[in-house]
Amino acid sequence: MTPTVSASGIGLRYGGTRALDDVSLRLTGGVTGLLGPNGAGKTTLLRVLATALPADQGAFTVLGHDPSTARGRQEVRRRLGYLPQTPGFHPDFTAFEFVDYVAILKEMTDRGVRHREVRRVLDEVGLADVRGKRMRKLSGGMRQRVALAAALVGDPGFLVLDEPTVGLDPEQRMRFRELIAGAGEGRTVLLSTHQTEDVAMLCHRVLVMAGGRIRFDGTPAELTARAAGRVWSSTERDPGARAGWRTGTGSFRNVGDPPDGADLLEPTLEDGYLLTLDGAGAEVAA
Amino acid sequence: MTWHVPEDDLRAYAHGELAAPALWSADTHLASCDRCRAALAEAADPVALDAGWERLDAELDVPRPGLLEGLLVRLGVAGHTARLLMAAPVLRRSWLGAVVAVLLLGVAAGHAVRTGESPTLFLALAPLLPLAGVALSYGPALDPTYEMAVVAPMHGFRLLMIRTVAVLTVVLGLNGLATLALPAYGLHSLAWLLPALALTATGLALTPRLGPVLAPSLVGGAWIGLLMLAHAVRAGADVPLAPFTPAGQGVAAVVAALAAGLLFLLRDRFDLFQGRAV
Repeated sequence: MTPTVSASGIGLRYGGTRALDDVSLRLTGGVTGLLGPNGAGKTTLLRVLATALPADQGAFTVLGHDPSTARGRQEVRRRLGYLPQTPGFHPDFTAFEFVDYVAILKEMTDRGVRHREVRRVLDEVGLADVRGKRMRKLSGGMRQRVALAAALVGDPGFLVLDEPTVGLDPEQRMRFRELIAGAGEGRTVLLSTHQTEDVAMLCHRVLVMAGGRIRFDGTPAELTARAAGRVWSSTERDPGARAGWRTGTGSFRNVGDPPDGADLLEPTLEDGYLLTLDGAGAEVAA
Repeated sequence: MTWHVPEDDLRAYAHGELAAPALWSADTHLASCDRCRAALAEAADPVALDAGWERLDAELDVPRPGLLEGLLVRLGVAGHTARLLMAAPVLRRSWLGAVVAVLLLGVAAGHAVRTGESPTLFLALAPLLPLAGVALSYGPALDPTYEMAVVAPMHGFRLLMIRTVAVLTVVLGLNGLATLALPAYGLHSLAWLLPALALTATGLALTPRLGPVLAPSLVGGAWIGLLMLAHAVRAGADVPLAPFTPAGQGVAAVVAALAAGLLFLLRDRFDLFQGRAV
């Protein structure tokens, strides 16, 4: 299967900071999660793959095109959907007008064709009833869905989503997950997130980034398995644990290297993620 | 109701061949006029009529273009280009109000100076307005949809130029009107025009290297510094500042041309994100 993204040794430096360091990856269909702490380089990687930023080092193709050339970049952009971390809106635009504006930027100049596409994507994200409402009057969750609709204009083959569920309440997050899962059918989605539940529920594959490098590349089950035998329960916080916290039952859940005879617990994806970051030298919050 | 959709337009509408802005007028009118709907039914075959109703249904929830957008379309600007311009903050009332206020200040100062002196405040402020207007219509800090626009297939330089031309048209037009309010100075009160073009082009040409905030800020600061220097060395109050003399105007023209050339050479740099994030 031809990969949607094939990257080898991507590097990018801002001044003295190495934001991306020898990043190699291949993405094919379905939803791939990108986990990492703040400053890990997730947004930079998404911007490079979305052709917004040029890489200093390495080579990569997206949808079979080389984004380092002007022509290749334009070809990629014609089949790309991008939802930035903080999508901005013109507050006086209606939902319809905003998506219409993005559709124009995507070279849809025929008014009839464009408006049909705007209605289609707003229907797809369940906002057909509010398409005439001004953006400033929509809730945060609805605005995020409008931004997703804009990203879906033109039925892109590669969809890049930068922390789309930040700031959403649990119900909105669940609704958004449904939409992302739907969007991942028949196309490649790269989903950057802080929420390990998003990855556990949506992704067939997960990448963990820290310090500008990919620290893990595998399935969510494989990431969870990294914590097998390394999560245990105790009545006091174990000083030898990499991380430990009191749970609702009053006992402590510890992650790290357990003492002999520890009461081992079933690991979660988050445990595997924390241990992966710990191994990468990143700070693990207790 | 005194106006009805002309018969030719109805036939074109029924066949899906009516173009904007007549199409928009027909949509709006048909939604409220029984007589024209009946006439439309007679003008169309049943299949085309069903398609027409479907189209009408779809059109009814499509937003109507605002006054300025509609005016642009009537002036021949393509509908999609007019929509792109509507997203530029410089075409909003708040910005235009600020421009008019600054110009009124300059004109008032021009009227207050003694006969024989130059309207210096007006000539100093007027070139800064298009520079600021262009700066405010572009960049991650000021355009809320900047990041989405950068990764869109439409070339960033093209979008920048569409907005720049719109800003220059509006602001230079307002500057021109303000100039007419200073008839006593004759052509001398037009001495802002070449510096305005030079500052705007230089600000844009430096943007790929310095960023969309720092570049116009530095250019604006340099302009003010230049004027202060010229003020310090000029021979007397009756002598115009150096940038507003014929020689100064020549220099401004050369700077504008060189900066425009440099901007064209750097056009591909506007197709990439101008900011940073980790």
